[in-house]
Amino acid sequence: MASREPNLLRSPRKRTSAWTSIRSEWDLYLLLVPGICFLLLFKYTPMYGISIAFQDFNIFDGMAASPWVGFEHFERLFTSSDFSLVLRNTVIISLLKLVILFPLPIIVAILLNELKNMAFKRSIQTVIYLPHFLSWIIVSGLFIDLLSVHGGIVNKWLEQLGFAPIAFFMNNDYFRSVLVATAGWKETGWSTIVYLAAFSTIDPGLYEAARMDGASRFRQIWHITLPGIAPIIVLMFILRLGSLFEAGTEQILAMYNPTVYKVSDVIGTYVYRVGMGRQEYSFTTAVGLFESVIGFILVISGNYLSRKYLKRGIW
Amino acid sequence: MRLSWPERLFNVFNYSFFTLMGLTTLLPFVNLLAKSLSSENAVVSGRVSLLPIDLQFGTYRFVLQDDAFLNALRVSVTLTLIGTALSLFVTTITAYPLSKPRLRGRKWLLLLFIFTMLFSGGLIPTYLLMHNLNLVNTLPVLFLPAMVNVYNMLIIKNYFEGLPDSLEESAKIDGAGNLRILFLIYLPLSMPVLATIALFFAVYYWNDYFNAMIYITNPSLKPMQLFLKELLAASSDFIRNAAINADAEMNTAPQSIQAASILVATVPILIVYPFLQKYFVKGVLVGSVKE
Repeated sequence: MASREPNLLRSPRKRTSAWTSIRSEWDLYLLLVPGICFLLLFKYTPMYGISIAFQDFNIFDGMAASPWVGFEHFERLFTSSDFSLVLRNTVIISLLKLVILFPLPIIVAILLNELKNMAFKRSIQTVIYLPHFLSWIIVSGLFIDLLSVHGGIVNKWLEQLGFAPIAFFMNNDYFRSVLVATAGWKETGWSTIVYLAAFSTIDPGLYEAARMDGASRFRQIWHITLPGIAPIIVLMFILRLGSLFEAGTEQILAMYNPTVYKVSDVIGTYVYRVGMGRQEYSFTTAVGLFESVIGFILVISGNYLSRKYLKRGIW
Repeated sequence: MRLSWPERLFNVFNYSFFTLMGLTTLLPFVNLLAKSLSSENAVVSGRVSLLPIDLQFGTYRFVLQDDAFLNALRVSVTLTLIGTALSLFVTTITAYPLSKPRLRGRKWLLLLFIFTMLFSGGLIPTYLLMHNLNLVNTLPVLFLPAMVNVYNMLIIKNYFEGLPDSLEESAKIDGAGNLRILFLIYLPLSMPVLATIALFFAVYYWNDYFNAMIYITNPSLKPMQLFLKELLAASSDFIRNAAINADAEMNTAPQSIQAASILVATVPILIVYPFLQKYFVKGVLVGSVKE
C-alpha cells in the first residue's frame, strides 16, 4: 500500500498506462461492478430484445428459433387504424400537457417568490409539494370520488349553479381535461422547486439597483427574475421534450376505462393492453420501438438546438 | 416602505391565489376523509361533502382487520424497505467512482449510464427478460431492475463533486484507501442528498403499481397500490365481501371502504414527509443548480 501512495497522488501527472492506473485504483472500479452488471442485465439486454420486432416471435420457440420477418410488423403498424388512433391521442394529450402544464409552475414559482410572509410561504410550499408523493392510483381514487356523478362535490356544485351533472371519467369530451387537470394538481407544486432553486442564484444586488432606479415589482420580475431563470426554463423544456411521447402512461392506466379508450389510449397503454393482454409480442415491440426512437430523436435534437443557439444543454 | 396601490392589489391577489391553491390541493383529502367516516346511508345518498355525516369508525376497523389489505400492506412495507436500502447503496457506490475525474474511461462509463435514460428496450422485451430469468411472480422483480436509477445517481455524483478535494487528499496522506474515504468521510458529509434520494426511492417503491401489474399475479405478493387499483375498479373480492359484510354488520358503504383504504395507504407518506422536507428541498437545489 505504502509503495503505491505516490502513484495515487500523482502530482506531476505523468502519462501512466491505462492498465497501471486501473490497477492502482482497482477499488474504485470494484465499486462500479454491481451498477454496471444491473445496467447490462436489466437495461441493455432488453435493447437487444428489440430484435423480436423483426421476428414472428413465439414465446415457446424463443428468440433463437422464431422466424425473421423483416419489416412486416412496421408495415402493419403504419397501416393499422389502431395505431393511428393511438398516435393521435399520444400527440394530443402530450401537447395539451406541454402547453398548459409547462408554463404553470414557472408562473406559480414567480408568484411564490413574491410572498413576503415566510410562514405563509412555507406552509403553502409544504401543501403544494405533497401531491407529487402520491401514486397515480391514489390520485385517481381521490378524483374519481370528487368528480363522481353520485355525490361528487364538483357535480354538486355544478348542479347548484344550474348545470347538468357531468360523468367526467366516462365522457369522451371531458376525459382529456381530467387527465390534464389531475396531472396539474399532482405536479405543479413540485415542479416549482427547480425554479425556486434558480431564483436563489440571482444576485440580490440587481434587485436593489432596480429599486433604486424606481422599478416596480412587475418590472423587476420582467427584467431580472425571468431572464435570471431563463437557462433553467430551457433546460426543463429539453427534458420535457424527451418525454413528449410518454403522455403519462401510468396516469392513464390508473384512470381510464373502456368507455374513453377512444380519446385516451396512448402508445404506452396500447402496448400494455395488446402486448400483455393478447400476447402480440412482436407487433407491440415494434410499436414500443417507434415510441423509443421518437423520444430519443426529440431529446438529441432538443439538446443540439439548445447548444447551438443558447450555448447550453443537458450534456 | 409604503406600497403603491397596484402593488397592494397584487399582494391581495397573490395571497388569495395561494390560499385558494392550498385549499384546492387539500380538498380531495378532506372529501375522502369525510366519506370514510360517514354512515352508509349518508354516503350512498350522496350527502357527504366536506364534513362527515353520522360519524362512524367501523370502516377503519373493517379495513384494518381485513387479511387481504394487511397482506398488501406487508408486501409494500417489505418492498419499500428492501428496495430503498439496496437501491440507495448500489446507486451511491456507483456515483462515487464516477465523480472522480481521475477515473480512466469515466466519460465512456457515464455515457453507458446516460444512454439508458434516453433509450430503452420497452415494455415487451423487458417483460420477456424477466420471464426468461424466472423472476415473474417474485418479489425481487419489483426491485432488482430499479437498482440503479441514473437520474438519482447523477444527483449524488454532482453532490460528491461539490465536496472539497482537500478532504480526500488529507485522508490519503493518512493512509486511507478509496473505500474508507467513501464510507467514513464522504457518506457522513452527504446526509442531505442521501436522505433526499432515499425518499425518492422509498416513494418510488411505495407508489409503484405498474411493475406489479405486469409481473405479479399471485395475490399474496400484490403490493398496496395494485390492491387499491383493483379495489377502485370494484372488481376485487374484497369490495364484494365488504359490501356483504357491511350490510350485515356495519353501517358502512363500499365507497367508504375505498376511501378508508386510500387514506390508510397514504398515511406512511404523510408521516415521513414533513421530517424529510427540509432535506429534499436542499437536496433538489444541489441536484438542479449544478447543471
